[in-house]
Amino acid sequence: MTSPRVVRLVVLLLGVLSASTASGEPIAHREVLPNGIVLLVAERPAVPIVAVRVLSRAGAAFDPSDRAGLANLTGALLTRGTAKRTGPELDSAIEFVGGSLEAGAGRDSITVSLAVQKKDMALGLDLMSEVMLSPTFPQAEVARKISEIRAAIKRSDEDPNAIAGRVLSRLMFPGHPYGVPVEGTQESVGRLTRDDVVKFQQEVMRPDTTVIAVVGAVTVAEARREIIGRFGAWARPTSAPRSITEATAPPAPGEETVKRELTQATLMFGRPAIRQTDPDYFPLVVASYVLGGGSASRLYSRVREESGLAYAVYSWVQPSRYGSALFVTSQTRTTEAPKVIVMIREELARMTREPVADKELALAKQYLIGSFPLRLDTSGKVADFLVAIEDLGLGLDYADRYRERIGRVTALDVQRVAAKFFPPAAFSRVVVGEGK
Amino acid sequence: MRLVTPLLLIAALLVPTGAHAADRVVAATLDNGLRVLLLEDHRSPIVSFQVWYRVGSRNEQRGATGIAHFLEHLMFKGTPTHGPKQFARLVEENGGQDNAFTSQDVTSYFVNIAADKLDLVIELEADRMQNLTLDPKEIVSEREVVIEERRTRTEDDPGGFLGEEVGSIAFKAHPYGYPIIGWMEDIKRIAPDEIRAFYKTYYVPNNAIVVAVGDFKAPETLEKVRRRFGRIPRGRVPPPVVAVEPSQNGERRVAVKKQAELPIVYLAWHVPSQRSNDAPALEVLSTILAGGRASRLYRDLVYQRQLALEAGGDYSYFAIDPNLFWFWATPMPGQTAETLEKELIAHMDRLKSEPVTEEELARAKNQIEAAMVFQEDSIHRRASLLARFEVIGGFTLKDSFIARIRAVTAADLTRVASTWFAPDKKSIGILQPKE
Repeated sequence: MTSPRVVRLVVLLLGVLSASTASGEPIAHREVLPNGIVLLVAERPAVPIVAVRVLSRAGAAFDPSDRAGLANLTGALLTRGTAKRTGPELDSAIEFVGGSLEAGAGRDSITVSLAVQKKDMALGLDLMSEVMLSPTFPQAEVARKISEIRAAIKRSDEDPNAIAGRVLSRLMFPGHPYGVPVEGTQESVGRLTRDDVVKFQQEVMRPDTTVIAVVGAVTVAEARREIIGRFGAWARPTSAPRSITEATAPPAPGEETVKRELTQATLMFGRPAIRQTDPDYFPLVVASYVLGGGSASRLYSRVREESGLAYAVYSWVQPSRYGSALFVTSQTRTTEAPKVIVMIREELARMTREPVADKELALAKQYLIGSFPLRLDTSGKVADFLVAIEDLGLGLDYADRYRERIGRVTALDVQRVAAKFFPPAAFSRVVVGEGK
Repeated sequence: MRLVTPLLLIAALLVPTGAHAADRVVAATLDNGLRVLLLEDHRSPIVSFQVWYRVGSRNEQRGATGIAHFLEHLMFKGTPTHGPKQFARLVEENGGQDNAFTSQDVTSYFVNIAADKLDLVIELEADRMQNLTLDPKEIVSEREVVIEERRTRTEDDPGGFLGEEVGSIAFKAHPYGYPIIGWMEDIKRIAPDEIRAFYKTYYVPNNAIVVAVGDFKAPETLEKVRRRFGRIPRGRVPPPVVAVEPSQNGERRVAVKKQAELPIVYLAWHVPSQRSNDAPALEVLSTILAGGRASRLYRDLVYQRQLALEAGGDYSYFAIDPNLFWFWATPMPGQTAETLEKELIAHMDRLKSEPVTEEELARAKNQIEAAMVFQEDSIHRRASLLARFEVIGGFTLKDSFIARIRAVTAADLTRVASTWFAPDKKSIGILQPKE
């Protein structure tokens, strides 16, 4: 529990979207089923397990503006009852074979995740297709889940990172769905009804915006047969899928302090950025890594190693389908918060003023390129990666392209992109702490 | 491992113990006492290289708690050959990921990296096993970092804070009662000389295990490890931990007020280590009570009656010495901590008098066995699992683990529940939100 740099692992996990395999071979078999589902299959025969992800573009970004938390509630209810089984029956069935079946929503999508031993694949896929295609949303389960989510929201108000993240999203994305918490608010969730959930599931979850990845001890032929047999009859609606406007930078960044009786202040800076489809994304990733990506980064060296002001200090780029964001965060004792804020602002500004040193650049590039295979070392991670690159429209060659693009980044590129994205005045800022 | 927040406890449950055949492990003990376990896994061109020292908060003294964890931080601060910051830098510029953790029983360092960089990692780990600089200036600044870490994990985290309080009342003689990160006053006080002495005492090859899993040839890697680590002289045998926790006679209780949104309840009972014949039953029992949404605590308290937002339990199968069986619950708004305390105890009492169903027993065994198979998918987890078994007695214990679990009967569960969950042998902690 007490690792010194556990924070780095968090950063690495967040960075998984920009990862891929090291080989030059296609990372997976890909095909589009007649109803529009994109099926991806990667064979990993060595360990007798199968990981499956079903990603449906039906995340919180699609919540009606007066129904914040609807996608999240819908996702959480998928496993709470189907035409064939009650929620407890689903739980018992998957857990009896030691597998797991989870469903939930993020900003862009609802994802259902399955992990089973190979011998239990048919059962696992039966359950998975039931929760996707025939959820019943019993009224008692809806009421139960609403009170559970409201309690979880209440509880998260004691977590300074959760508080800071919520406030920062609101400041960074005013007027855009990304500014609203995925889970909604206690009030908005309290207003949701079963009818809202049924309508959302029927209208927003559809085969032509769904991606399925099957990874593990399974052949392409087998995976195709099993998936087409269960999901092939899911009818594609005649209407066009809904689209969401891209998030743009707010007219003016905001600053807020949330008072809490804590011994540390949690500082979080953020601003809208760009995603993988923009060529400047790659220099931006390198710039963020030099600034606060690892334990050789400028912020880690200055704030943690040289000044002993923080255990956690890091920066990262978080790409999403309808917008991307650049974050810097740290936690420090209350009295030193102003000092750390100044350091972060100074280091952001320095990135815009001077080119990074050759050594820093080389380290960042070598790390980002060299650590690829580590980020895809389990079937679950590969499945997550596959549905993400498909949903973000990055193509199966993204792995190779990423390495190639990162490899080409120069110190001038980094400075140019930093000049665009790192000026401190463009960041919104939240401080949680500073006493009652 | 000592994992005291509910989320971490859940994570630990999903990744429990276990055994696929520890088949192709190449095991050796070098002349200097270093234990080496190597397992080839050629699925990807990567390797997980780990060094586990048999030292944790279990080896600490009052007044110097947290020293094992403090030293773990300082292990990244350089040797005469690889100066400050060089360790992480070298690993990163070679595309590797490294980290470390300290538990009650061990301090573990790992590097996951491309297999062709194995020589570099062997050099770095062998160097810091023997030559750590421990520059007083570095100690001064790193002390502040550790203090900040404690603030994040304990002072400002209601669950972390309460877990520490309950652990400390549950043990009065054995060091398992100390917080792994150490008491704040100790972190502030510990002197560089004490850290140096601690390093010299415990960071010796005869107190360490090297484990590697990945894309290499085991005989060749063993030779490399022997060549580099073999140069480090054997140290004196570190002092054994001799403290034995006396039997508890009477319930112990702690009440905490903190800024929080909801109360928290912790219950802890003293239970035996895996050396006991009761250990497999305790492991199965913890899965029946808290392994997933079909488990008893979730289904009854969270799902059916909606008394709790979260409820769970955990047995530390991998503890060296007898440790605690933890339970926790967070009441739903409108419910009280007292209600949840009663309900958790009622679940324990029911296990004493009423056998579990065949289905529950079979499900728990299947879950434990499947978790072992899932772990095989990650070279990092494969290596960690070998090391965990080695720490508690030998990596081959992994082979018999599933057989031990499979042999558990419903009658065993009734018996261990009655034996170990007596009312006067528990410690209770309740955190109430401060107004």
